[in-house]
Amino acid sequence: MSHSHKHHGFHHKHDTGGSAIDFYAVNSKIRFLSPGFKAGVSMLALLLCLILDNPWVSVTLILSCALITTIGGGLSVHDYLSVLTIPAAFVFIGCATIVIDFSSKPAGDYHLFLHWGYLYLTRAGIKRAVFLMLRVFGAVSCTFLMTLSTPAHELFSLTAKLPIPTLLTEMMQMIYRYIFILLEVQRNMRISAESRLGFRDMRSSYTSFGLIAANLFIVALKKANRSYDAMEARCYDGTLAFWEEEKHTKPLYLCLAALFFIALLILWYATR
Amino acid sequence: MKEKILEVNDLHFAYDNNKNALKGIDLTIYAGERIAVIGANGAGKSTFFLNINGVLTPDEGEILYRGTKITKKSLKELRKNIGIVFQDADNQIIASSVMAEVSFGPMNLKLPREEVRERTLMAMEYMNISDFKDRPPHYLSGGEKKRVAIADIIAMKSEIIIFDEPTAALDPLNAAMLEDVLSRLTDEGKTLLISTHDVDFTYRWADRVLVFCGGKIIADGTPLEIFQNKEVLKQANLLRPTMLDVYEALVQAKMLPADASYPKDLVEFEHCVKYSVKV
Repeated sequence: MSHSHKHHGFHHKHDTGGSAIDFYAVNSKIRFLSPGFKAGVSMLALLLCLILDNPWVSVTLILSCALITTIGGGLSVHDYLSVLTIPAAFVFIGCATIVIDFSSKPAGDYHLFLHWGYLYLTRAGIKRAVFLMLRVFGAVSCTFLMTLSTPAHELFSLTAKLPIPTLLTEMMQMIYRYIFILLEVQRNMRISAESRLGFRDMRSSYTSFGLIAANLFIVALKKANRSYDAMEARCYDGTLAFWEEEKHTKPLYLCLAALFFIALLILWYATR
Repeated sequence: MKEKILEVNDLHFAYDNNKNALKGIDLTIYAGERIAVIGANGAGKSTFFLNINGVLTPDEGEILYRGTKITKKSLKELRKNIGIVFQDADNQIIASSVMAEVSFGPMNLKLPREEVRERTLMAMEYMNISDFKDRPPHYLSGGEKKRVAIADIIAMKSEIIIFDEPTAALDPLNAAMLEDVLSRLTDEGKTLLISTHDVDFTYRWADRVLVFCGGKIIADGTPLEIFQNKEVLKQANLLRPTMLDVYEALVQAKMLPADASYPKDLVEFEHCVKYSVKV
């Protein structure tokens, strides 16, 4: 992981074979909370953030999600911020295109002459963009609240309870498991190609990449057969069934969540 | 009188590409046996295992489990009572947490919820993996994955457990753990079949050895019978266990009495040496 992902600043050298978000979720200190509760809170907060469209609500959500994830979940502030930088790039670029306008004559509150015309900004536009940005970050924070505290397999057991075809939820489970195997096999192939100078220049890199991709396809097919044999050997009969531990939410947490949402609504009403 | 569990009569099987085919296997397995299955790669060991587990269907021949012939309908019975620990744990592990993974077999057996839970916890305890029951498999080391793969089968409480090259890719510590688990399983009366290339392990562990070669069982006997049969060793390209070589060399040099004690491991060997020095 350390090599191929070096350019993503948010990755650490955990050598876990997985992604950073997955790793953080597994190690979160609020994993003991029921996944249904966490998903419910996150989704409700997400909805409120989008529907109320209120900068105060957004700021509160950004801060409270950050606090819950870092202090409650035990994720370091640095790691949390680096996860947030993933969507940040998209958000900034998106907002820039909204706020910046183009004209042949000087216009707006601020402008910049660029040989062929003027780039200009209006105060109202900036305000709108900042509010939008807060709303987006608020919404993103809400989803991170869930994904950074609930490992994938707990989310799968949730989706199994929703009215979604079993085929889809089972595919999700299998894909999640096999993505990591695929990544590992790919990493090993890449390392062994690199150790034979397979990536010394552009040309050899393209060739090696192609060979690895083709090989990966064959290996994936073979592995799929092996896995199916192994599943059949354990009496697999067409439905994936796993044990799910039932986690119950203490009333205290339910009350806290209710209070939080009431406070949010009051905040919205007061600043409307 | 030993109790017959599994009977295989004239089993034939061929893949489409004709590789690793089985050409007439006859075998009877009795309760509580410790069987080592040895032979070169591609001799048909894994294919044989998949056949007696019911994953592959034989082209010819029959399999009897406790006297009943296995048909398409009773395949389940075979899979329920014969478990395979596959060579590569990554091919076997499919769930995204250890506990879910171990529960997969019992869940497929359609056991009541409470029993699934009990068996899963028991198997995790057995393999000492309870501490990371919530961890996804991709955060486990190779040895830990192997333990999960074994717990998978223990949770199914099958009578016969097959290990396909279990010692491959294990470090000495994990290999010792594995041998410990094997002896515990034997003590509990399980019948074990292990395919391996480790002749030293075969010599000290097994009470019966099957030699596969070109899709046939070319020899079936005690480790001593097999490893003293030069013809079989040559045909199957097998080496002799170091302990046997050393013992016979010492006997030949008259440093040990020819009392046919045949020590199987270091402890027995030391015992043997100590006594003969006194003589």
